[in-house]
Amino acid sequence: MGILEIHNLSKDYSGTVVLNDFSLDVVELTLCCLLGPNGAGKTTTMDMITGRQKPSSGRILLNDNDITGLDEHEIARRGIGRKFQVPAVFKDLTVRQNLEVAYSRQTSPFKNMFRFRDPGMERKLDEVATQVGLTQRLAIEAGTLSHGETQWLEIGMVLMQDPQILLMDEPAAGMTEQEIDKTSRMFNELKKTKTLVVVEHDMAFVREIADVVTVMHMGAHLATGSIDQIEANARVREVYLGSEEH
Amino acid sequence: MFKSNPYHNKTAQWVVYVLFFGALAFVPVLSDDAFMMNQFATYGVFGMLALSISLCWGFGGILNLGQGIAFGLGAYGMAMTMQMQSQDPETSPMPPFMLNNSVEQLPLMWEPFWHTGWGIFIALAVPTLFCVIFGTIMFRARVSGPFFAIMSLAMLSAWYTIILDSQPFTNGVNGISPPAPLSIGGFEIDPYSGFIYWMVLFLLAAMTLIIKLITTSKFGLIVQAVRADSERVRFLGYSVSYYETVIYAVSGFIAAIAGCCWVVAVQYVSPAQLDVSFSISMVIWAGIGGRMSLLGSIIGAFMIQGGQSYLGDEFLATWLLILGGFFIFVVRFLPKGLAGLLESGLGLLVAKPAAERESAPGPVAGAKVQG
Repeated sequence: MGILEIHNLSKDYSGTVVLNDFSLDVVELTLCCLLGPNGAGKTTTMDMITGRQKPSSGRILLNDNDITGLDEHEIARRGIGRKFQVPAVFKDLTVRQNLEVAYSRQTSPFKNMFRFRDPGMERKLDEVATQVGLTQRLAIEAGTLSHGETQWLEIGMVLMQDPQILLMDEPAAGMTEQEIDKTSRMFNELKKTKTLVVVEHDMAFVREIADVVTVMHMGAHLATGSIDQIEANARVREVYLGSEEH
Repeated sequence: MFKSNPYHNKTAQWVVYVLFFGALAFVPVLSDDAFMMNQFATYGVFGMLALSISLCWGFGGILNLGQGIAFGLGAYGMAMTMQMQSQDPETSPMPPFMLNNSVEQLPLMWEPFWHTGWGIFIALAVPTLFCVIFGTIMFRARVSGPFFAIMSLAMLSAWYTIILDSQPFTNGVNGISPPAPLSIGGFEIDPYSGFIYWMVLFLLAAMTLIIKLITTSKFGLIVQAVRADSERVRFLGYSVSYYETVIYAVSGFIAAIAGCCWVVAVQYVSPAQLDVSFSISMVIWAGIGGRMSLLGSIIGAFMIQGGQSYLGDEFLATWLLILGGFFIFVVRFLPKGLAGLLESGLGLLVAKPAAERESAPGPVAGAKVQG
């Protein structure tokens, strides 16, 4: 059984179906890539898992607990971290402050009023900054980072949360080839201790990192398998890979 | 020349705050004019209100046009407490205005005010509780920005009308004027003395320094993040509505303390304290002084109210025009108020790193610390 299970998830906006009976099992300590053409429902699925949107029907289980329809912060506290498609960092805050905010063991406003120094946080921050390669950039404002660095910062913020499951929406988008290499090394390291779900379009990157690939099409499940199986799948080639070739 | 903007230097900020309040503490030594002490104490009350707006709007990003609710409720609570100090359970159990309104016995909601301690507790607890309830309802529903401002304004008008129309309990438009100063444990607080000034100044200074300290905590950092992108903060595991409610309620608590001090100083409260224009004034003080700076907002309140007292007499009818024009000027040209002007002024003194001066603009050197 998977650590994260999605059962028969559906979503429609007054008749327009965006997700249609979609199911997915994510196995612990694997990296699962979600593929699909634009509008396939990948980001919508992430929105449902993290509570940003409520499904019309279906259930989402985390460690066998139903988390369907909980608020965003409750789902985050249960151990699901998310990196957004458009990197969402706090541009006016420094890189260090971005990472500090993301360290959310203590969420009570009153207890946080008396929190000025936190050795546990400092240790974690050093560790994460090294992991995402931003140790030299801690003091600068996040708004001045390059696009690739902003992606890493947001990945770092997710790591500061120390979640069980990391949802990464297009983490390599807009990165140079060297940056993509560095990111895939980072992810291969991460999946030793974390479970990851990654939405990505860059097939070379997917081949580097994916343990299992699930393809979505028109809001529904199309195929699941290893990258080689997916690339050999005739239906997938038809709707997705095929359309890219011409 | 400085390495980084001294405006953002934490130590310098604390020194300025302490010096500012330290200097103000000496005012009664220079003058013992009783009328001035009383007037300056009311400025201190306005300073508290500006502080509360700065916390809520400048720091928390919640534009609150209804701060008069917490101020007014606190003021009424204190006025009721002081009124009951002049009543006697045997000989005159009811305030005179109730007799004029042919009320036959003391209304139940007035009973707790026989006891001064309970009275002051209620004067502070009711406005704070109101903020907790109203804030929870609004922020849970993710009402924010101009929509929250409109709701707070509507709520203010509702409270104004309730108090105005409850003539038998509140004396309506005439308000409550307790006949004697507040006395606590046998000690009478003379509203025309250096003591009232020091009391208000002490409370203002203590609250300002505590709020300043809180803004540097982890809580302060999270609130900054909420102000920047509340949507993102939710996914980090923080309940945004909880944080917003706490900010709004702490701000209301400060306004309630201001309301209590106001009545101790002027021995009077009426629905005018819940007038829309007064709540808007508080926002203007903070806007002109600089809402992002606690001290800037307080100085804004001193300037505008001082100006109104001294220049207002000279210009009479044109004073409001001058104030309005000044506000438009600040909003247009100094969005961070006078404190922001100081910030950019001090920024000019910062020595540019040599590398940056010589070559084309590269990565920004020198960390900017949030002030």
